[in-house]
Amino acid sequence: MGREVSESCVESLVTEIVSSYCNGFYADKPELAARRIEAIGFQVGHQLSERYTMDRPRFTDHLEAIKFICKDFWSEVFKKQIDNLKTNHRGTFVLQDNRFRWLSRMSVDPSIETLGSIQDPSAMAENKAAQAIGMHLYFPCGIIRGALSNLGIPCAVSADISNLPACSFVIRIKA
Amino acid sequence: MAPVAPRSGDVIFANVERVNAELFTLTYGAIVRQLLTDLEEVDEVNKQLDQMGYNIGVRLIDEFLAKSNVSRCVDFKETAEVIAKVGLKMFLGITATVTNWDVEGTTCSLILEDNPLVDFVELPDTCQGLNYCNILSGVVRGALEMVSMKTEVTWLRDMLRGDDAFELQLKLLKQVPEEYPYKDDE
Amino acid sequence: MIVCVAVVGHQNNPLYIQSFTEADDVLKLHHIVHCSLDVVDERVNNPKKSSPTLNETFLGLLYPTENYKVYGYLTNTKVKLILVTTDLDVRDADVRNFFRKFHAAYVDAVSNPFHVPGKKITSRTFAERVSTIVKSFGLSSAS
Repeated sequence: MGREVSESCVESLVTEIVSSYCNGFYADKPELAARRIEAIGFQVGHQLSERYTMDRPRFTDHLEAIKFICKDFWSEVFKKQIDNLKTNHRGTFVLQDNRFRWLSRMSVDPSIETLGSIQDPSAMAENKAAQAIGMHLYFPCGIIRGALSNLGIPCAVSADISNLPACSFVIRIKA
Repeated sequence: MAPVAPRSGDVIFANVERVNAELFTLTYGAIVRQLLTDLEEVDEVNKQLDQMGYNIGVRLIDEFLAKSNVSRCVDFKETAEVIAKVGLKMFLGITATVTNWDVEGTTCSLILEDNPLVDFVELPDTCQGLNYCNILSGVVRGALEMVSMKTEVTWLRDMLRGDDAFELQLKLLKQVPEEYPYKDDE
Repeated sequence: MIVCVAVVGHQNNPLYIQSFTEADDVLKLHHIVHCSLDVVDERVNNPKKSSPTLNETFLGLLYPTENYKVYGYLTNTKVKLILVTTDLDVRDADVRNFFRKFHAAYVDAVSNPFHVPGKKITSRTFAERVSTIVKSFGLSSAS
């Protein structure tokens, strides 16, 4: 237990997924690229939730599972907890990370030219850098969706980066 | 004499930002599986993984040189040792042994007995031609190219295919000398 | 002696079932596992409010038959783990210990990037690991 690797390894992989899919095989199809990046995240989240819930009682409701994502899960993946959790009590949860690690450390390739369709349109600023960041966020969105889906909570997840370096993940649970 | 390179990456690894290896292992696994779905041909996936690794190596070399204080002017023999003992340790937390040198001192093998890329991995029968760890050979090739060593990096043994270790062969094709003239050891 | 273990998905789809006994018992064991799934569902849907084990993954003894005892375990991801034993005098700690190891083996098996969620577990490593855990059942029960 407790095996570790340098954080650069994970960041390199994520950067490379995004540039391979956005500049390479799906250069002119950003929606397809986004879907593939999200799918990779989904598999990772699905497997991680299996691992990280191993030694704990079952969750009784959605809120308990979401809190687990905010605390234990986020700490394992990003070494900090979510800073703020909001809900409208009708199945929408907003998880805000005031300093999202993959945005504050990752070098985002500014040449990535694309538009996110799932991302909050207001967050997709005019400049390409913001668009590139949007592409990077499909990966953590997929991780969250995969984790919750494996815990029996089907949902849609999007990201809002209108207050960088803060990043909010919006989870809409499917009824 | 070339400046003394660190003999071990333990101290550097202890000081870099580290994460849970599971995140890395599972992310890499998900990439490989997605590429197999999208590219269909195992050979294409091998090529793509190598290319991704190459791109990463080209970027990571700066971080490596900055954190390790390794000079750029080491010869190939020393370079192989530095990769095995410092480079792999600093990024993946593992080390390799360098062996099987040829007479010219231009070809050798790195032997890895442990590799976080393959934790939990079992190759399905349909993927027997897959060089699952090809990203790693790409990283080494890309990084060496940035320090003026053109190499060919090939997997000779693979534990996922039933071998008793991973063996990565490094073959120096061309070295562009920098400040120090190239000096043949033999 | 453990005679059968099983992993069952959240739609009651069998992911892995292995018996450790003479061949003519196999069908009967599969039937016992199948019946135990309803007991798991019942247990989880109608928990005893007073029970301290509310939402605990370990569900305890599901039901005793004439010759077997059947134990269950339900993960957070709604995967059921089932154990069938012929032992009459089984210690709770041994069963818990068994499920902890069995669960860990399952989690590693589904961490294989080539495993497809919801599909049967075909991994040889998993089969060997489970067989080792089954053999060591009740031998070291310090915890």
